[in-house]
Amino acid sequence: MGKYFKEGLSEFWASKTSKIGLAFLSIIIIISMYTLFTFPLDYGTRYWNNPKYWADNPKIAMPEWINFFVGNKFLEHKVLSTSTVQKIYPFGAYYIKTYEVVYDLMVDQFPTFITLKFDNVTFFSRPPTIEVLVIRPDNSTINLCRSVVEPPLPTEEPPYSRYVVEPKRIMLSGEPQLSLVLSNFLLDKYNLSIDPKDVAEIGYEKVIFGEPYENGFKPLKGRYVFTTVLYARDARDQIGTVSIVIGGQVYGFMGTDILGRDLSQGLLFGFPVALLIGVVVSVLTTMIGATLGIVSGYIGGRADEIIQRVCDVMNNIPQLPILIFLTFIFGGKLWIIVVILVLFGWPSLVIVVRSMVLQARSSSFIEAAISIGASRWRIMIRHIFPQVAPYILAQMIFFTPSAILAEAALSFLGLGDPSIPTWGQILEYGFRNGAVFLGYWWWVLPPGLMIVFSAITFVFIALGFEPVINPRLRRWR
Amino acid sequence: MGLKRALTFKAASLVVVLLFVLLLTTIIIGATGISDKILNGMVRDNLRAIRQELAREIRNPEDLERALEKIKEDLIRSYGLDKPWYVRMPDMIWRIVTLDLGNSRTVVSFSGSNKISDIILERLPNTVLLMITVLIINFALSLVIGVRVATKPGSFLDRLISMYSAVSYALPTWWLGILMILVFAFYLKIFPFGGMYSTPPPVDPLIRSLDLVWHLCLPVLTLVIATSGSWIYITRSIVITTAQEDFVSIARAKGLSERIVLWRYIIRPAAPPILTNLILSLAAYLGGAILTETIFSWPGMGLLYFEAIMSVDEALILALTYMYTLIYVIARFVLEVLYVIVDPRVRYEWASILKKV
Repeated sequence: MGKYFKEGLSEFWASKTSKIGLAFLSIIIIISMYTLFTFPLDYGTRYWNNPKYWADNPKIAMPEWINFFVGNKFLEHKVLSTSTVQKIYPFGAYYIKTYEVVYDLMVDQFPTFITLKFDNVTFFSRPPTIEVLVIRPDNSTINLCRSVVEPPLPTEEPPYSRYVVEPKRIMLSGEPQLSLVLSNFLLDKYNLSIDPKDVAEIGYEKVIFGEPYENGFKPLKGRYVFTTVLYARDARDQIGTVSIVIGGQVYGFMGTDILGRDLSQGLLFGFPVALLIGVVVSVLTTMIGATLGIVSGYIGGRADEIIQRVCDVMNNIPQLPILIFLTFIFGGKLWIIVVILVLFGWPSLVIVVRSMVLQARSSSFIEAAISIGASRWRIMIRHIFPQVAPYILAQMIFFTPSAILAEAALSFLGLGDPSIPTWGQILEYGFRNGAVFLGYWWWVLPPGLMIVFSAITFVFIALGFEPVINPRLRRWR
Repeated sequence: MGLKRALTFKAASLVVVLLFVLLLTTIIIGATGISDKILNGMVRDNLRAIRQELAREIRNPEDLERALEKIKEDLIRSYGLDKPWYVRMPDMIWRIVTLDLGNSRTVVSFSGSNKISDIILERLPNTVLLMITVLIINFALSLVIGVRVATKPGSFLDRLISMYSAVSYALPTWWLGILMILVFAFYLKIFPFGGMYSTPPPVDPLIRSLDLVWHLCLPVLTLVIATSGSWIYITRSIVITTAQEDFVSIARAKGLSERIVLWRYIIRPAAPPILTNLILSLAAYLGGAILTETIFSWPGMGLLYFEAIMSVDEALILALTYMYTLIYVIARFVLEVLYVIVDPRVRYEWASILKKV
């Protein structure tokens, strides 16, 4: 047995496909480990399915590396934050504190949106007022917004804290009074009279970050200084963090979806899930299938008859319709999907293992074992199992991709586990939002490639196993 | 005589499969209370229709309510809702078989009916059209390419095919469909994004059928690329094994031409195992077809599955599961018949098995 095993192992190492397969597998395992250590286990419910968490991200943005191929054509997403007070001086009954962030517009593109965020505002007497203004590269100034912090409630005691749990978000595109400000600005600066209604039509970003050009606007490159002014009644009042979100057209390593979710995170989380499903389903399936196959082949008789009949029926059921039916009825929890895949997976293995056992049974050393009075179970475990083991192992590996693909297909039909991001689910969401018809390639290509990559890993390893199981194939290489 | 008996035996075993699926589904929907939900829905639909008719005859609202209450009790009795689900099982199985499952929740047939049987029977031909087209193309491809590759094992083309079949095993058909749409419909604009006809559909019959073929191209191409790899590979392996048999060497020794040897001595005996593998790959293929229809909005039963899931329509999903099992069983049977025709050995084999039984 040992010699045979060694031979098989060297045979396995000799093939190129198995080397590639194992290399791929180690990549998958490393990524899965990394993800499990860096992501919380409830990532899906806590972050992925929580739209608020992604509120500052651009929607449907391409990956950043696209700029590498098209020569920095697209604007990168930027979040500029500061907690340091730039200047502080008294002003009548007020104390003024300013916070500054600097933004450099380098490409010929307009930002897609602007959001202002204030975290953690503290005040001690009357509520302060916050103003934000921007100084453009041409030294003109635009007042972007003015917001008064909510006054204290009768039950509250100073110091009063605001925007601690959830920051105050001001989406500039949703501020109607800004159209009037910008209309006046255009009249003063360029002698251009545009009705406030039409300013909103053009888009605030174009006016703020651009200059009139022919019949529209063109981006004005250069340095923009965003100054946030706090009008406080108490010298101790302050804003914890000021952030200016400049919406870009490209984001991160893999872009974003329609909710602004960072696709690279969802794709990463898909690795451990796929590995788990593939391995758990294939191991369980093989255990059941191999046990029943050995029993059926060695014990025979009534047990054999029953097992064979059940397998005949189960093997002839079209899989996907039944899987759809069952997951639909019992809900798409991950463990339910695993159980269903196992339930309908084992019969195909039984038939093959049984025929191998029948062959092994007739060999002389089994007869010898019987003659010295070894028990049936002992023979099955000690003598029969080792003979069929390599084959069972190969089947197990070969089962893994079909489990991964089945789960992806169910997820794509909208029957997956909603609390866990999987590749199939990302694809489903993309497909339902028309990503395929609008050409959002970064939303539909990577998840599919990941599915193929993980499935093909196990196919390669299984192919590497083939000459081990089937010595006649060794001559072919 | 053996032929008939062998086929009867096969048919019987396939009917058992169908019955098993029916039993499994009815037990599940019975035990989870979904069958009550479906039947109650049917009672409601019936009452709605009756109410409108009675309202014309009975003017007094109180009398109307009383009459309706009585009719409702009769309906509940006739649908068996007053008995537990396991007593109703034979009746429920019969309902599934005849697709008598009432109305769908939101999906409507092309002619505007919402009866489940109407919806499904309307879509059945579209699914069958797509599947048969792909089957024929696959069969032709596997014969032509598979045999060709088998005559030169180890050649570059042979290695390419082996690689391709390994890759296609790991390639989800539906994702390939997404790729196809992106490339051929979105970027190159050669083929339509999906559907069966352009909107509005052409009136002229010739142009209409050309339009249909144009819409068929992408889904068919997708399914062929995804499934033909394994078919070609299987054909190749079987032809290679057959070519090493002694009778082939003898035929060559007799001085028969290479063509005759190939067709009569290699492909003829290789046909039955090829068919067997066809039979085995049919189930996987069916699954691919369901999702491909969804991707290409091909108005068949696969797309209907997607719509039924979206509108949480248990009755429709139940009916579809049964229909797909039925299609599968029928296709299996057709292939079995072919198998018996192609392989005379089977007849005797089966006959001897049946004698033992």
